[in-house]
Amino acid sequence: MESLLAQIEPFLQATIRMSVPLILTGIGLLYTERCGILNIGVEGSMLVGTFAAVAGSMVTGNVFFAVLCAVLAGGILSLAFAYLTVSRRADQLVAGFGINLFATGLTLTLMPYLNANRSRAALFPIIDTGPLEHIPFLGPILFDQSIAVWLAIILTPISAWVLYKTTFGLSTRAVGENSKAVATAGLSVIRLRYIGVLLGGIFAGLGGAALALNDLGFFVPNMTQSRGFIVLAALVVGRWNPFYFALTCLLFGAADALQLRAQTFGSTLPYQFYLMLPYLLTIAALAGLVGKTKAPKEYSKPYDPTHF
Amino acid sequence: MEDQHKSMDLLKLQEKLVAFFMAGSRPILSIILAFLVSGVLIYLQGINPLEAYAAIWRGAFGSIVAFGNTCVRTTPLLIGALGMTLGIRGGLFNVGGEGQLYIGAAAATAVALVPLPVPSFVHVLFAMIAGILGGAFWALLPAYLRAYRGISEIVVTIMLNFVAIYLVSYFVHEPALLAKEGASYAQSREILDTAILPIMVKGTSMHYGIVIAVLLGVLLQIVLKRTAYGYRTRMVGTNSDAAFYAGVNVKVSFFTTLLIVGGFYGLMGTVEILGLKHSLYDNFSGGLGYETIAVALMGAANPIGVIFSAFFFGGLKAGGNLMQQTVGIPSSMVVVIQALAVLFVVGFGVGAQKPIKRNKKNTQEQASTEA
Repeated sequence: MESLLAQIEPFLQATIRMSVPLILTGIGLLYTERCGILNIGVEGSMLVGTFAAVAGSMVTGNVFFAVLCAVLAGGILSLAFAYLTVSRRADQLVAGFGINLFATGLTLTLMPYLNANRSRAALFPIIDTGPLEHIPFLGPILFDQSIAVWLAIILTPISAWVLYKTTFGLSTRAVGENSKAVATAGLSVIRLRYIGVLLGGIFAGLGGAALALNDLGFFVPNMTQSRGFIVLAALVVGRWNPFYFALTCLLFGAADALQLRAQTFGSTLPYQFYLMLPYLLTIAALAGLVGKTKAPKEYSKPYDPTHF
Repeated sequence: MEDQHKSMDLLKLQEKLVAFFMAGSRPILSIILAFLVSGVLIYLQGINPLEAYAAIWRGAFGSIVAFGNTCVRTTPLLIGALGMTLGIRGGLFNVGGEGQLYIGAAAATAVALVPLPVPSFVHVLFAMIAGILGGAFWALLPAYLRAYRGISEIVVTIMLNFVAIYLVSYFVHEPALLAKEGASYAQSREILDTAILPIMVKGTSMHYGIVIAVLLGVLLQIVLKRTAYGYRTRMVGTNSDAAFYAGVNVKVSFFTTLLIVGGFYGLMGTVEILGLKHSLYDNFSGGLGYETIAVALMGAANPIGVIFSAFFFGGLKAGGNLMQQTVGIPSSMVVVIQALAVLFVVGFGVGAQKPIKRNKKNTQEQASTEA
């Protein structure tokens, strides 16, 4: 019993650590998706976010500045996506794919310059919560974590509050359901969609920073390893609701943490099957096997103000 | 009356010409722009972009060996992009190529590992059939969901890619299945000599895959343009409601088309194994399946255009290595060039975008601001 508990503690700690970058990315991407846009370029935004965070942290040694770099990089890339898909009404999948390709090529090309810089990157600090840390079991899992965990805990309810309780949130949700109605009400669909995409990019940059600076502090090629797609999947399973989404991320994070520990828990299932779990669950949700999933009505459809 | 008819025909011809020109010129313009912008990026790294581009050209088409490398890089992209093209023409957006090619490659590898008492070309043929069936199998679920349940194939196929990659990873880790024991990097056993797709020109890596790919392109063009099947498929892709009222079974069309698209990708993975890699390993494609979407796009979803576009992408990849060796720019720079070309094409609006009726614009915008 004692030893099982000793194993569960690091497992839960890892679960939270792995799901935080996903949650931070998704609570912004939620706005992109709720206004009816499928942005697979979020993977690219996350990737340049990790790169910019590491670069910014190495150069200045200041975590705040590093996060600013990451957020800017992710945001700028998402603006390019917004221009293509919202203003030029380009196909969202192809544009997102192009953005991802660009992010991969750019970070690989710039990597030698990053590696030439031998300074160490500053990491996210672990906030000293004093006595809370010493609560048995819960203490190390929840309170001995980096500032990124706190960001996720604080920002998720804020994201939900803005989405459900503010006029801006209402307009964003309405654009995804019926953009023509929003335009008729005198709001700019184009502007709302730009903001939605930009929020997605900014938070993807933040998620990237959390991935890079939580405990690693260096950049490796293709560092995000399709986490952007996992976020897209978690949004589907979480029915585009911030809280369900965050829970789904914890579940996906647990699957990820479990695959590393499967053997110590006495599982004979190959680790690849744990990694498949999020995607299988998403397909099941899409096929209507797990509850009822309803995507925004205008999901992935371009908005054409001249076409009724 | 007669004259009016004639001028109408001329107008139509003119329209067609313009459309054709636009479809061909936008990718070319985008490629030029991509090279210009990348040139600035290369210049910023302190290197003459013209030297870098000359190195790419020599590495892609400078010698018979270089051209062989280009062909080897072009082959999988072309086969997959042709499948993508068929899908787009049939109204389907299959993002699942990456997964379908993994499963196809796994099925082909399984057949290529079994000693068969048949001539070599029959063994190759069997492996290819297995690969095509494998790819089609992986398209089965999204095809069913799209055709009979009305669920978009886009997200389902993306998700299935990851499932396939992990499944193949399991296959090449498990000695009871395909894995080679004691390998430093997880991989399958080497395929048998009889199942290898032979080299076409001695001293190069060019195998017969490129012939298969180009012939497939010509065949697809004929099927799409000249057969009843092609006509029906294009009709469903252009307007599935109209096709339904014209008596086409739209569901069957979606279902079979997506299976065939999966078959193309299965063949893509197969040819890569039989012709080049000779064994299946963990993560062996590294995103080739996604790249085919860009190739199809640059080829304006036209089989003949796709042949040129695949050679462009293949040539860039083959040339990138020489650029890295001679002028010291990382070969990943060609990925930037590709990405920029794709983004420019997307920005210019090639693809399935419907024409915008400009004359309606003012009235509608007025309506939305007034209300």
